[in-house]
Amino acid sequence: MNFVEWCEQSPIGTAIRGSLWAFPAVETVHLLGLAALGGVVLMLNLRLLGWTLRAVPLATLARAADRWLVGALAVMLASGFVLFTSEAERMYGNNAFRLKMLFLAAAVIFTFTIHRRVLRADETRMNPAWRRATAVVSLLLWTGVALSGRAIGLL
Amino acid sequence: MSLLQVCERLEATRWSTALRESTYVYAAVESVHVLTLALFLGLVIVTDLRLTGLGFRGLPAGEMVARLRPWIRAGFVVMATSGILLFIAQPAATFTHPAFRAKLALLSLAGANAAIFHAGIYRSAPAWDPAAAPPPAARIAGVVSLIVWAGVVAAGRLIAYDFLR
Repeated sequence: MNFVEWCEQSPIGTAIRGSLWAFPAVETVHLLGLAALGGVVLMLNLRLLGWTLRAVPLATLARAADRWLVGALAVMLASGFVLFTSEAERMYGNNAFRLKMLFLAAAVIFTFTIHRRVLRADETRMNPAWRRATAVVSLLLWTGVALSGRAIGLL
Repeated sequence: MSLLQVCERLEATRWSTALRESTYVYAAVESVHVLTLALFLGLVIVTDLRLTGLGFRGLPAGEMVARLRPWIRAGFVVMATSGILLFIAQPAATFTHPAFRAKLALLSLAGANAAIFHAGIYRSAPAWDPAAAPPPAARIAGVVSLIVWAGVVAAGRLIAYDFLR
């Protein structure tokens, strides 16, 4: 049995399909995760662009934001996986879903490598153009995740 | 004329019909409404985490509220505009949906909570100790906001489902 079938026939997938409330409840958790993750990412990127909280040192903001970034991402991944199991076969063939997974992989890798390094770098010794470029790439990647995610239901 | 009749009149207008029947415009408005969750609600959550003392403790609370406020306001304008457009597309069916009514009630609560916070304890924000948790009234405002907004999202999601009718 392949992974997609296994997901679809797993107890979680079956339970969600069998309940009226379960799917919208998990969707709500997924959306709250989107809000929290999006809020933290947006705040960090607005700060990198120099558009907000300029009086707060970047490293202080980044350190305080890190656990919420990781926590919100964990909530999104967990709730997203549960949503996936309930309709794994349909998702597997959905091009918007495939595109979303590509954007997600790129966004996560970028966030925990380049983005994180730039956030922690010594502010006085870095050309602000690098910070702005990092913010723009991060915003584009996460917007790609969200937009292709939205498109899953439309295809 | 009852409110439901107003909604039915609205639904019969050209604008409502055009929005309802357009594939792309409706989907685009819906997408904007969902994506603005990150801008509006995301920054509200960040602010509330600082107000409650649950997160961002190393940062000055008053400064965070003040600096993020313009972005939250801009997010609210986009959220409200796209939300009103979604309502205009199907006013009668939305108006009679229990989840929509719950959402309106929760939105009023969230609005009242924000208004009380800004007219009250927030005025003393410059005097708050940046290292400590904000005063109890501000922490309560943060907790209420987190709970009520989570309810708004849940109710909003349920509008798309018909099993509650």
